[in-house]
Amino acid sequence: MDFIFEVVGDALGALSGFGEELRRVLGLTLVVSLLATLFGVAIGVPLGAWIAMARTRVRTVWLVAVNIGMGMPPVLAGLALLLLLWDSGPLGGLELLFTPSAMVAAQTLLAIPIAAGVTAGAIKGLPPAALEQLAALSLSGIQRGKVVLIEVWPGVLAAVAAAFGRVVSEVGAVLVVGGNIVGETRVLTTAIVQETRQANFGEALALGLVLVLLAGAINGFLTWMQLRNARYE
Amino acid sequence: MSDSFDLRYPADGSVLSVEGLEVRQGERLVVFGPNGAGKTTLIRLLAGTLPGGPAFDSAYLPQSPYLFRGSAGFNMGLGLSAEEASRARYLADRLGVGDLLQYEASSLSGGEAQRVAVARVLAVRSPWVLLDEPLSAQDEQDRMMVAAVIIEELGDRGAVIITHDRQEAAVLGDRMAVLVGGRLLQEGPVDEVFSLPAVDAVAAAVGIGNVIDGEVVDVEGPLTALRAGEMTVWGIGEVETGHPARAVFGAEAVTLFRGREGAAGSARNRWVGTVTELRDLGQLVEVVIDVGSRVVALVTPGSQEVLQLGPGANVTLTVKATAVRVNPT
Repeated sequence: MDFIFEVVGDALGALSGFGEELRRVLGLTLVVSLLATLFGVAIGVPLGAWIAMARTRVRTVWLVAVNIGMGMPPVLAGLALLLLLWDSGPLGGLELLFTPSAMVAAQTLLAIPIAAGVTAGAIKGLPPAALEQLAALSLSGIQRGKVVLIEVWPGVLAAVAAAFGRVVSEVGAVLVVGGNIVGETRVLTTAIVQETRQANFGEALALGLVLVLLAGAINGFLTWMQLRNARYE
Repeated sequence: MSDSFDLRYPADGSVLSVEGLEVRQGERLVVFGPNGAGKTTLIRLLAGTLPGGPAFDSAYLPQSPYLFRGSAGFNMGLGLSAEEASRARYLADRLGVGDLLQYEASSLSGGEAQRVAVARVLAVRSPWVLLDEPLSAQDEQDRMMVAAVIIEELGDRGAVIITHDRQEAAVLGDRMAVLVGGRLLQEGPVDEVFSLPAVDAVAAAVGIGNVIDGEVVDVEGPLTALRAGEMTVWGIGEVETGHPARAVFGAEAVTLFRGREGAAGSARNRWVGTVTELRDLGQLVEVVIDVGSRVVALVTPGSQEVLQLGPGANVTLTVKATAVRVNPT
């Protein structure tokens, strides 16, 4: 037990000792994860709405793809992107490997299925009368999507929260395509891995606390938005 | 313009199997039937919200209109052209919900939400209008007002209107189709279906009743007198003198007496006529009487014997005015 107390003590000490390095890691974490959430939601939410409402059989294929994507191990998504971006790979010419852009791309791939799946679930959960009314209105596809997404707004916020939670906490994808380069592609999760491997448990735990606070603050904000928009209270 | 539809759902017709359902421009077809008869399936096929129906350019009011997040006005305007939207606002005013359009839709009562949806669907410039239970959420005192707006606004368009309420069927319909167990059992003018059910199942579903069209000639407090040919019918209603109206009362409300003199008592309606037809319904006998208009009554086989009712017999009929509804047409 003494060991645990010692680590916690070190962590608290480390928290006050963090300086420039932590700011940079924290900043990059925020930028990468928020951008990936933004792109993932921008693609995933309309995709989910389409999957929930389209009247074609192709949507079943997409539904299966989304469900698989939601359970995709991040390290595998990272590996797939690494192969594409590798010097001699099909997208090697872009020279994106081991840059924050590659990290954003990898996390976007992880965010899309989550955003799509949660959105589709929210729309499927609408009462049958709402879906019948929607069909009765003879709206264009875009108008219909707009009405539905406003209707399930708390569900869309849940999709944002789930996507952000997924990307900010994952380590596999950013590690593989980012490389954890100090001052360039190191984010909170990869920094924790690094410190842990070097047995700097205090520092690792301190970084973990910062990560929890960051994720908690953003998801807390989204929860507040969700409650504020709840229709039935 | 008219059209005839064969409707089947699902493909094997186990839920609904209707052949030759005829709809015409300028006519309101009421589809009447008990719960679970397949009425909503029928209208959803016509509206295209269930697969397998005909392609049909229609405006459709679902059974439980749903208002989405946003103001009532936002919901009313969904998918409408500028011209249709202004028509909808006018109709909302007439239906008494014009002042509510600015409010969040979820703050409206069920009846108010239904009137907003009715205003929207009537404003759509479509040659056909499909209404599933358009008065179901209305209070008793608003029902006739909403019905009057619907009738007026439909104008010369064609409409299919679903209801399971006799009074609504009598008010809203020109023609009536009776649906029981997913099958169309009878189709014809509303008064004919009410007074001359083709089969027992229709009689059981509709109840045997009388529908008499005429013009209002007198008003006394809550009572209104309707003149139809030689016959005057007193009933409860709010129609002004000189306006066309329709009297509706059940066959069970008619009391029969043998001869032309019988029947003292307080009943306001008292007619003399001749029996033209007797129809055995099993437990009861339906008696069709010509009193200028056709009126049907129900008696037990015992009474039929006591009253010596047969074709050609002279009878006196009485009906309490409180058992008769007089509705505008």
